[in-house]
Amino acid sequence: MTTTAAGPATGRSVLAGVLIGVGVAAFIDETVFHQLLHWHHFYDGSTLEAGLVSDGFFHAGGWLAIVVGLFLFADLQRRHATVPKRVWGGGFLGWGAFQVYDGLFQHKVLGLHQIRYEVDLLPYDLAWNISGALGIVVGAVLLAGRARPVASR
Amino acid sequence: MSTGWWPALPLLAVAGAYLAAGLRLHRRGDCWPLRRWAAAAAGVATLGIALLPPLATHAHHLFVVHVVAHLLLAMVAPLLLALGAPVTLALRALPTPGRRHLLAVLHSAPACVVTWPPAVLVLELGGMAAFYLTDLFALAHAHPALMALVDLHMVLAGFLLATLLVGPDPLPRRPGTVGALLTLLVAAAGHDVLAKLMYARLLPAEAGSAADIRLGAQVMYYGGSAVEVALAVALMAAWYARGGRELRRERRRTVSAPAPARAPVSGGHPAPG
Repeated sequence: MTTTAAGPATGRSVLAGVLIGVGVAAFIDETVFHQLLHWHHFYDGSTLEAGLVSDGFFHAGGWLAIVVGLFLFADLQRRHATVPKRVWGGGFLGWGAFQVYDGLFQHKVLGLHQIRYEVDLLPYDLAWNISGALGIVVGAVLLAGRARPVASR
Repeated sequence: MSTGWWPALPLLAVAGAYLAAGLRLHRRGDCWPLRRWAAAAAGVATLGIALLPPLATHAHHLFVVHVVAHLLLAMVAPLLLALGAPVTLALRALPTPGRRHLLAVLHSAPACVVTWPPAVLVLELGGMAAFYLTDLFALAHAHPALMALVDLHMVLAGFLLATLLVGPDPLPRRPGTVGALLTLLVAAAGHDVLAKLMYARLLPAEAGSAADIRLGAQVMYYGGSAVEVALAVALMAAWYARGGRELRRERRRTVSAPAPARAPVSGGHPAPG
């Protein structure tokens, strides 16, 4: 039961990581910014029709990603084929990419809703998108480096 | 949704048919799993909660109650009924001529069309869009027979979707796990878009005040997502269980097969792999 780092399990580790990362980004967006802080609005009147469609896939894709990602991860674990570094790399990449997609494309281009209302938006937008970009960089670095599967340790 | 007790009649007929078929199997000595009995009973009970007073009566006056009843009727009950595997039960309980008829229907061209994932999505999302975004909502509330047809469509479309995703019933062509996940993604995104359109355009216009409609639309959005998460978990749990069975088979093979094959190789080389 050994799987080399270049085998299919590596791809699965990355995929599980990306899906969990995307799901975590969507989960934080929904619970923290929509429900707890009430910064994001369910609908703010300026949304384009394309924004509603994009938001529908964003919301549905977010929780679907976390369910599928966790099951993929459980499958890797029972096969002793997890490559932790690849899971983390995929996770940061998925989280960061989703954050930037939401922050630049959905908030700005489609006008879905803003991060917060009745405040100067610039620091919020910068923090949101720079943190996402950092996630992408960290993820890319982790994915580029060498990695070993758990089974070979 | 209706305002009287008459929906109890078709519900009792459905429950009676399922009970009769299941008991027939038991008398014959065949096993019909307890979890399917439980799912079917819960499904019929959920339909009853959605279609009968007091919920159905209040649903006419308060939109958010209507939305709760709709989620029970069109999403929760169809999922439970699909897990009850009524078609499988019918195939096993019917005498041979009836079974042949049912199989002919299942293999017919119309059955192939309505169980094709894009067609199921059109039935599911199209029915919901037609009801909530057009005048059909007001029309159906004025004509009980039309409302009964709408309710029937919602239950059947939801049943097709749930069977496609997680139901044990046979289908002419069943999508793979990726196909099922994509179907679920489109259905869930479509539900989200419809709920936000209701919120944004204050539809259906006759449903009540702006605040009533906005509350109902949000309950639709989040309530629908909750059921869809359950569908995703059921879908992936089935995938995980299938993977586990394969893994156990593989391990049995690797434990029993290599021993005789490796026996003659004793030249000191370590076995590969």
